[in-house]
Amino acid sequence: MLAMKNLAAISMALALAIPLGACKGSDKDKGAGGGGSGEAGGSGGGASSGTIKIVSSLPRTGSGNAVSGAMVNGIRLALAEAKNKAGAFTIVYEDWDDASAKKGDWDPEVEAANADKAVKDPNVMAYIGTYNSGAAKISMPVLNRAGLVMISPGNTYSGLTKPGMGESNEPDIYRPSGKLGFFRVVPADDLQGAMGARWMKQLGAKTVYVLDARDLYGRGIADVFEQTAGDIGLRVVGREGIDPRAQEYKSVMTKIKATNPDFVYFGGTTQNNAGQVAKDMLAVGLTAKLMAPDGCFDSAFIQASGAENLNGRTFITFGGVPPDKLTGLGATFVKNYRAAYGKDPEAYGVYGYVAAQVAIAAIAKAGSKDREAIRAAVEAYKTEDSALGPFSFDKNGDTTMAVMSGNEVKEGKFEFKTLLSNE
Amino acid sequence: MAGQKKGAAAGSGRRRPAWLRLEVVIVPLLLLYPFFPVLDQLVQAVFDTSLRLDRQLVNIFIFAILALALNLQVGYAGLLQLGIAAFFAIGAFSTGILTVGKYPFQIGFWGALVAAPALAGTAGLALGAPTIRLRGDYLAIVTLGFGEVTRVVLLNLENITDGSRGLNPLPSPWLPDWLTSAAAGDATGRMHFLAMYYVALLLLAGLVIVFRTLERTRQGREFVALREDELATACMGINPARTKLIAFAAGAAIAGLAGALYATNLTTTAEPNTYDFTYSIMVLCCVIIGGLGSLRGVLLGAAVLLTFDNVLSPLLTNLIQRHLAGGGSGHVLTSFTNWRWLIFGLALVLMMRLRPEGLWPSSRVKAELHHKQEEP
Amino acid sequence: METFAQQIILGLVNGMVFALIALGYTMVYGILELINFAHGDLFMLASFLALTLVGMLGLDAASSGASLAIAIPGIIVICVVFAGGLNWVVDRLVYRPLRGAPKLAPLVSAIGVSFMFMNLGLFWGGLPMDVFGHGTAAAAPKGFPDLLPGTNLLGDSSLRITVKDLVVVLSSLAVMLGLFLFVTRTRLGKAMRATAQNPTAARLMGIDVDRVIGATFLMGGALAGFAAVIYGLYINTIHFQMGYQNGLYAFTAAVLGGIGNIPGAVLGGLVIGLLRALSDQYVGAQWQQAVLFGILIAILVFRPQGLFGSTAREKV
Repeated sequence: MLAMKNLAAISMALALAIPLGACKGSDKDKGAGGGGSGEAGGSGGGASSGTIKIVSSLPRTGSGNAVSGAMVNGIRLALAEAKNKAGAFTIVYEDWDDASAKKGDWDPEVEAANADKAVKDPNVMAYIGTYNSGAAKISMPVLNRAGLVMISPGNTYSGLTKPGMGESNEPDIYRPSGKLGFFRVVPADDLQGAMGARWMKQLGAKTVYVLDARDLYGRGIADVFEQTAGDIGLRVVGREGIDPRAQEYKSVMTKIKATNPDFVYFGGTTQNNAGQVAKDMLAVGLTAKLMAPDGCFDSAFIQASGAENLNGRTFITFGGVPPDKLTGLGATFVKNYRAAYGKDPEAYGVYGYVAAQVAIAAIAKAGSKDREAIRAAVEAYKTEDSALGPFSFDKNGDTTMAVMSGNEVKEGKFEFKTLLSNE
Repeated sequence: MAGQKKGAAAGSGRRRPAWLRLEVVIVPLLLLYPFFPVLDQLVQAVFDTSLRLDRQLVNIFIFAILALALNLQVGYAGLLQLGIAAFFAIGAFSTGILTVGKYPFQIGFWGALVAAPALAGTAGLALGAPTIRLRGDYLAIVTLGFGEVTRVVLLNLENITDGSRGLNPLPSPWLPDWLTSAAAGDATGRMHFLAMYYVALLLLAGLVIVFRTLERTRQGREFVALREDELATACMGINPARTKLIAFAAGAAIAGLAGALYATNLTTTAEPNTYDFTYSIMVLCCVIIGGLGSLRGVLLGAAVLLTFDNVLSPLLTNLIQRHLAGGGSGHVLTSFTNWRWLIFGLALVLMMRLRPEGLWPSSRVKAELHHKQEEP
Repeated sequence: METFAQQIILGLVNGMVFALIALGYTMVYGILELINFAHGDLFMLASFLALTLVGMLGLDAASSGASLAIAIPGIIVICVVFAGGLNWVVDRLVYRPLRGAPKLAPLVSAIGVSFMFMNLGLFWGGLPMDVFGHGTAAAAPKGFPDLLPGTNLLGDSSLRITVKDLVVVLSSLAVMLGLFLFVTRTRLGKAMRATAQNPTAARLMGIDVDRVIGATFLMGGALAGFAAVIYGLYINTIHFQMGYQNGLYAFTAAVLGGIGNIPGAVLGGLVIGLLRALSDQYVGAQWQQAVLFGILIAILVFRPQGLFGSTAREKV
């Protein structure tokens, strides 16, 4: 009871004291969004030097952190290499969590709050995120309305950018301002799903059983895979979803065994229990090969499955060339990453790195602390060389990089097999 | 133990002056906060980072409504309900289906505010009717199971719910033009925020008033009697099953209302996995932390839990990062977010250890415990 | 028909593993009626210990039968002691001070402990050991080496009953039988049942209720430790969040079987295993949880007294 009285007293004191501070604040910086109306936040008056914040919003609590860790490392590496400078500006990076303890995964409330916080903070000029496309759906319209540029290292759901790929009203609903505000350095699902199907056919498959993990990523990629497979004469003998939290999948594998497919395609990630899928295929004597998208392109997948269970029968597609095959800037990235963190970069690390580089370059080019100028600079971004090779952004905000690699697991390591194309 | 006596005296129906004072302070503060976000400005000025407490307050209001719903079921009627998220989800998805542009209904937010509780309440009735007679733990399994069934069905009925994509965008509440223009236009989404803030706050306040009244009515006393001793209650001529079913369905309907607010506030239903067993358990946590059956306690519990998880944790993360080389990323032990569950869990354990009957227990529960201690 | 038989076998073996986890659950649940959300996470921690030991001993699929025959029982003993001891300590520090508190208060503490354990599991997964995938993310699922041979006992038949299945079933049955005998025959077991039925009366009869409850936590934890090793050997993947689903099943099995009813919990586990397998085969894997819990709800509607219907207790 006493505590509550104190609380009341404190809130009263605060209520009295703070308006003074607030007035001072809004005198100093009119754009800071004080008082009631400044929702769009400030653009800092277009200053040409000073401090600029880049924030990232990625799941840092729970299993999502397994991937975000690499992305954040990538972002930090890019900033360190730029000596935290973009043109005349000093860059401050903040690593925000879009997960909550109570949910243990990305939380819609938190992602919405992060977007709002970024908009309201007059120093934030670029928003790197998200990892989960469901989260992007929430923050995209908020950031777009405020003209704050969003660069995604991890969202692959096609409907976020491409007309006709998702719902009929996508992607316009994410662009209330009518301008492009969302750019992704990672290739979308439609590309990867389709290339996977073509590669599988090249590998000599006639029939395939498609599984997905019932999430936005796996489901989307498996849908495109299934559709392309039908178009190119690869017979889909079954389609099913699995619960990524289930302990094991021997029963569903037994069911698949009866259809005797050449391949199983799993739309999902290592965190979606891909290792268990690989193991339980063998456990019930299902000898089909396994193909999975880039969500499984990490060493954790090989560790979780057991290398001996993957060798020679596991094929993974990945947007870009795998780290150890990279030359030029890509090789430098791998070398520096290893030096900084003592381990090899996982698949999404390079996307985090490139996303941060795009943000830095755009801020430097815009040369002013102005959200619209920076957004326009990202839209016009074009590089002849990066850790992912040359790319720019197309009219939807997608990366023009369309190089995908097919990798096979051999001797407990990913081995680059072939470059994939969409023809 | 002077406070104890005072609490017991207040329990006999007279208003407690302290509570009155608190109400007088908090309600106006909350009403004014969106226009004078003083704490946000303080944090921005001191720490150079935005807090957006005003936005989080909407989440807290919605979560508090959900906690009140569960309190009706668990705290008043003594039903162990482990699947409140199912009704929350039904509210959110029925709001989605009834308002998005791709379906012909498009009844708008205000319509959904009526329809969503009705649908969730009907679902509660349908689940409760055959199962409400089950003993406590079996009912717990039924509700837990219903939560899982609902989540999986929403996830797999892609043609209706869009599965893991979720339904979006949900329209903002319709408001008369003069109001919209008075509040600086809708260009920045501020109108959406203000509408959600006040709708949620007023609904929460309305529910609190309803519940406070309920505590003094026959129906309210029936609930409590039932919770305390079902057999004796039945002997007094009250039909326990009927009374329990009323509480269960009403709780489900209020959870549906919270779902409608949640989805509209986010402008998307989000993926069905959002409404999983963990969510149900967190709501139950709030209710118990605050104090089962205590209105003030439940509100406080919801506020404490969400403030800690959604407001304080991110702020702390941010501040710690600034003072660690390399932001503390890299190793698993040096990233603050990797410690969140440990701190969260420890907080729950300590809170129960220090205040087993809840942060702000109802005077009735407190009196009972006190009584029990003296008896032997 | 053969597919059906295969699914029944898979369902039963999996069900045996779930039953094993449920046993530890039902012990504590029976005596305190505490829905122990931390049980699944205790089980998870024990599985991380098992994997650590496997890594330290350098065991893998190629290890010889003789070395496994010595090492695996050793690992089981260590995990049993660890999990039992940890559960006892948690009871002592967390639940025991709440004995007089409202019924649901320990539930929140259990959730808190569950979060703390989960966090410890996360740190544990980040240990710099090859068996944890040195350098991979701490939060990633960890592969548990496939130590038991997957040889088919039926030779070339396409119906599979493996050595692994047999080991799991036999060892689980042995533990279940032992536990059943312990609870029905020994003095401590009888004290546990007396305490479960009526703590006040038990105290009046000279039973040290706190000690008995402590012993129950010890046993419940020990069972979780045993289950963790079997789980690792059979399922072959562990993850710091795996306590969630396993705890959910354990709780469900324990309640279905009747409070504190040991054969009931086993039956509950088996029912869950069978329902999962059959729904995967005949309905679709994406509906697994819905079919499972849908049928369980239906069972309770038609048999409101649970699977073993003798447990209706009325306190007057």
